[in-house]
Amino acid sequence: MKSRTTFYTALTYAAGLLFLAVFIGPILWFLALAIRSAETAFEMPPQLTFEPTLDAFRHILVDPGTNAPQLVNSLIVAIGAVLLNLPFSVPAAYALSRFKLRGKKNIMLWYLGLLMAPPVAFLIPYFVLITRVGLQGSYLSMVLVLQTLTIPFSVWLMKSFIDEVPAELEEAARVDGARWHTIMWRITLPIVRPGIIVTSMFAFVFAWNNAAFPLVLSSRSTATLPIGTLGYFATSGVTWNYIAAAAVLAMIPPMIIFLVFDRYVVRGLTFGSVKG
Amino acid sequence: MHATTIRSPQALSPVRKSFVRRNLPYLLIAPSVVMLLGLIAYPLLFALKSSFYFWNLQVGPQPLAFVGLDNYVQAINAFDFRAALTNTLILSVVGTATEFSLGLAIALVLLKALPGMNVVRALLILPTTIAPIVVGFLFRYLYDPGGGLVTWVLQSLWLPVPAEGILGSPSTALAAILFVDIWQWTPFFAIVIYASLLAVPDEIIEAARLDRASAWTILMRIKLPLIRRTAIIIVMLRFMQIFNTFDTVLVLTRGGPGTSTRTLGYSLYEQGLVNFNVGLVSAQTWIAVLIVNIIVALYVFFAFRNEEW
Repeated sequence: MKSRTTFYTALTYAAGLLFLAVFIGPILWFLALAIRSAETAFEMPPQLTFEPTLDAFRHILVDPGTNAPQLVNSLIVAIGAVLLNLPFSVPAAYALSRFKLRGKKNIMLWYLGLLMAPPVAFLIPYFVLITRVGLQGSYLSMVLVLQTLTIPFSVWLMKSFIDEVPAELEEAARVDGARWHTIMWRITLPIVRPGIIVTSMFAFVFAWNNAAFPLVLSSRSTATLPIGTLGYFATSGVTWNYIAAAAVLAMIPPMIIFLVFDRYVVRGLTFGSVKG
Repeated sequence: MHATTIRSPQALSPVRKSFVRRNLPYLLIAPSVVMLLGLIAYPLLFALKSSFYFWNLQVGPQPLAFVGLDNYVQAINAFDFRAALTNTLILSVVGTATEFSLGLAIALVLLKALPGMNVVRALLILPTTIAPIVVGFLFRYLYDPGGGLVTWVLQSLWLPVPAEGILGSPSTALAAILFVDIWQWTPFFAIVIYASLLAVPDEIIEAARLDRASAWTILMRIKLPLIRRTAIIIVMLRFMQIFNTFDTVLVLTRGGPGTSTRTLGYSLYEQGLVNFNVGLVSAQTWIAVLIVNIIVALYVFFAFRNEEW
């Protein structure tokens, strides 16, 4: 019996290592590409040992620093999209969580349906619209259009957080004569502040990872990081080290957010419908 | 003097207040709905109107002629658009099924709760966090015929690799795209299924064990039915993701070779942003929107009809 248990334990650990090799290995291999010399990138058989160098990062960030402004642009667009979305999504989530209203299910599904609309299909109309109102190439155009993703996402996730605040707390305040906005501002929202932070973080990842909208709406000076990586591709003679360095830069913020907010990952990824 | 009833401002205010009170939830929802309607209705109506015109931005800035349903006929008859529909369907069905099965298997291993497995679980989600366009670059490197890791592993295992490379051959390109999708989304399934299996009460499993139910029976008869709601939701979210993805294909294959990896998203991208065929892409958009809506409506109808909200 004992040896059988040991065998299963060993098997489980072997499986765990296999998962890491398959799912994390490629990421590390790509990271290695960013910090190795260009000559060793495609050697066969693959070279596990190499002289690490930060040349690629120096190239993309400092000299000539092709991607440094794009990093800033990505931050501006993603943070802008999150900030603009909160005043729209938080009241809606509050209403959907706290009040009885007709067609609640349909409203919730409508938000979800919007998340399913293929954004590529809307790119040309957005391009025409944004050009007509003279916003082409602006941060605002991207921030605005990203609301089609961030608002529905945040409404769903925020609702799940507000659902967890006991209604009795609000009842007590109401009995004391507090009005609804006092209750919302002074009682419910302060309690769900962690929920607002978690929602904002995952909405940030959504906006940060989006490449479709900046692809048509950004200009050379407002291009975000994913567009920057595509730029290397357009030039002849693919410079893999630079691509990898820029891509690693684009990967880091979402990864940090997912690792720090580990407890909320399941919830974030399922828009609050599965409690992790 | 007789007493007259004068309406004081105080008497009025309950009436006004009750309007706000009565419509409060709707007033709180309204800003988000108005904002979204503005952002969604415009493109949809624009596409609807454009779909009846011959309009190519390479030919002229304005629509050239009203062509009725020609764009729709052209879209449906176009071999490449039908190929895109088929490929998207294959990717979503095979991809989702594989990701669910592998995800479930991984979740069951993670549930063993051995020391250190928590680290595996936390790291496992990383592929899902990466932007699709970046995943595209990552696998373009791995698939490279001249020194990619995947190519090398396959060759080391004496498996045949097409001379044109994995992405260059029509026989392997779609499978390669599918593999990328599975790589990125299996962790998502694993983590979510793990979390919901964790919520299954131990007593139920214990009771079944005492009744001498096999591990397989417990899995199929108890655990899976209990996480049905989760399964419904993640399959739907995944489906949504697959219809939206075009960036991975853009970086990896541009829909080629031929039409072998063309997806719906990529097809829309190419007609709109490479060929600037506004009329045709608008018709394709409406076909895509109708297909997605029908599938989602059917799905929601069957999956959510018994749900409490």
